[in-house]
Amino acid sequence: MHYPEPISKLMDSFMKLPGIGPKTAGRLAFFVLSMKEDTVLDFAKALVDAKRNLQFCSVCGHITDIDPCYICQDQSRDRTTICVVQDPKDVIAMEKMRDYRGLYHVLQGAISPMDGIGPEDINVPSLLTRLQEDEVEELILATNPTIEGEATAMYISRLVRPSGITTTRIAHGLPVGGDLEYADEVTLSRALEGRREL
Amino acid sequence: MHIDRLKLTNYRNYEALELNFSPTMNVLIGENAQGKTNVMEAIYVLAMAKSHRTSNDRELIRWEQECGKIEGDVQRKFGYMPIELTISKKGKKAKVNHLEQNRLSMYVGQMNVVMFAPEDLNIVKGSPQLRRRFLDMEIGQISRVYLHDLVNFQKILKQRNALLKANRGKLDLQDVMFDIYTEQYIQVAVQIILKRFYFMELLQKWANPIHQGISRGLETLEVSYGTLKDLHSGQTAEEMETIFADQLKSVRRRELERGLTLVGPHRDDLQFFVNGYDIQTYGSQGQQRTTALSLKLAEIELVKQEVGETPILLLDDVLSELDDYRQSHLLSTMQGQVQTFVTTTNIAGIDHNTIQEAAIFEVHDGSVLPRD
Ligand SMILES: Nc1ncnc2c1ncn2[C@@H]1O[C@H](COP(=O)(O)OP(=O)(O)OP(=O)(O)O)[C@@H](O)[C@H]1O
Ligand SMILES: [Mg+2]
Ligand SMILES: [Zn+2]
Repeated sequence: MHYPEPISKLMDSFMKLPGIGPKTAGRLAFFVLSMKEDTVLDFAKALVDAKRNLQFCSVCGHITDIDPCYICQDQSRDRTTICVVQDPKDVIAMEKMRDYRGLYHVLQGAISPMDGIGPEDINVPSLLTRLQEDEVEELILATNPTIEGEATAMYISRLVRPSGITTTRIAHGLPVGGDLEYADEVTLSRALEGRREL
Repeated sequence: MHIDRLKLTNYRNYEALELNFSPTMNVLIGENAQGKTNVMEAIYVLAMAKSHRTSNDRELIRWEQECGKIEGDVQRKFGYMPIELTISKKGKKAKVNHLEQNRLSMYVGQMNVVMFAPEDLNIVKGSPQLRRRFLDMEIGQISRVYLHDLVNFQKILKQRNALLKANRGKLDLQDVMFDIYTEQYIQVAVQIILKRFYFMELLQKWANPIHQGISRGLETLEVSYGTLKDLHSGQTAEEMETIFADQLKSVRRRELERGLTLVGPHRDDLQFFVNGYDIQTYGSQGQQRTTALSLKLAEIELVKQEVGETPILLLDDVLSELDDYRQSHLLSTMQGQVQTFVTTTNIAGIDHNTIQEAAIFEVHDGSVLPRD
């Protein structure tokens, strides 16, 4: 189908977002035409601001508009514990639970040899530097329950072991999006094998 | 268990088809290229979320359509259960009791089938890869944990191979990440091997008497599972892991030369002996076919034991290949015990007693009509 150029350009832009194909892009583009001009301008500005004003925290790697981020700056938090996660989204999820009072370290991914991602390609070096300088006593490894997340957790745990810092792997009860019945069968059989220490 | 109703929408050469089956014997009659195998395949795909004859799911969708759908009503011990599988160019979606399933590995096993098709002769004659596929499909059907382990095995193997390739040509590899992946690799590989030992022992137990029955007591069948040397059933996982680790270490240099993992269940194979002779090398066509058939029928017993219900048996183009004795032996063993589907081009070729009790369907160019 042939669209006027501004529409097809807008559709192209929408299609750069994850999970959006041509059909949805078309629907969104035509919806934008029906929006008030002010709303569209706010929308566009929000996109640009988010990109311009957000950066990664130079200490923990979380996304932030101030550096260091508000978590790293918060003196009331427990500075002896760092929770290591793969993604800024994981920090936000943990913060929602409000139980955790320590600091974070965001790896921005996991080690994956077949994708050419080694330890230096994610925030592992900055974690090690941080461990040397700070008063950290415990590291909670909350990487994803995937092969790569698991291997990354084991990797960090082995590097850190000689320093005497305690490492714990967060318990992933149910696989994400998993079904109870399935999880039970797999978890049960794993439990019988006995989970190994990291 | 049995399937009561099958509904196909844009599946292969069927635009829309709805069939009600007999819980005992169903015979599909039709000339070549009319759609008999397509019906059998649809039942198989509904159970396994995978075809027995192609790995390209798109072939299953009716030409020029976006998606195809298979629906079935399965009667199990605990009750009636509708299941459905939608195949589109983007992938597959499964529903059980109208609820969408998150994982296909979850879905597989809701309905159990055992299929015997002409291609299955390759279990005996074909490459080791086909025999491993046989193992994986069969064990996967009775153990979800096995499917889960297989998926993880493939991922870990890829990662380990990537590290070997990246360090290709080195004499040794001192790398924490490589050690971690090697440990994970051994752990999951041993779980797979343990399951395969267990499965093969059961298969052997059931297949031999069946083979003797079909061959009028003239032949004995022995099945042997070949994996890493020095591994055998009866060892614990820890013992196997130690042996495994040693063998991996001893081929380290060669692995680095090739950039590949050289030891593991991805190189396993099966061997079949009839009256002590390796049937792959020395067997006649008929003996090889009987061997493949015995293995498939043994699976019925296996599913019965592991799942607690009899699976559905699909026999595609098999009867015409067996001599009269073998055919009537086969059908009389199944009679009344197992819901069976049989295809044929010629009704005269089928055992008379069977036909009298069977629901008969005439297949002609994408339509299937029950005969009264
Ligand atoms: N995706 C598809 N869309 C439409 N038609 C298809 C598709 N795939 C296969 N067919 C058609 O289905 C027919 C083959 O059906 P099938 O394999 O079930 O035959 P059959 O009755 O088992 O024949 P035979 O006795 O030779 O084994 C062929 O005519 C083929 O062209
Ligand atoms: Mg056919
Ligand atoms: Zn920070």
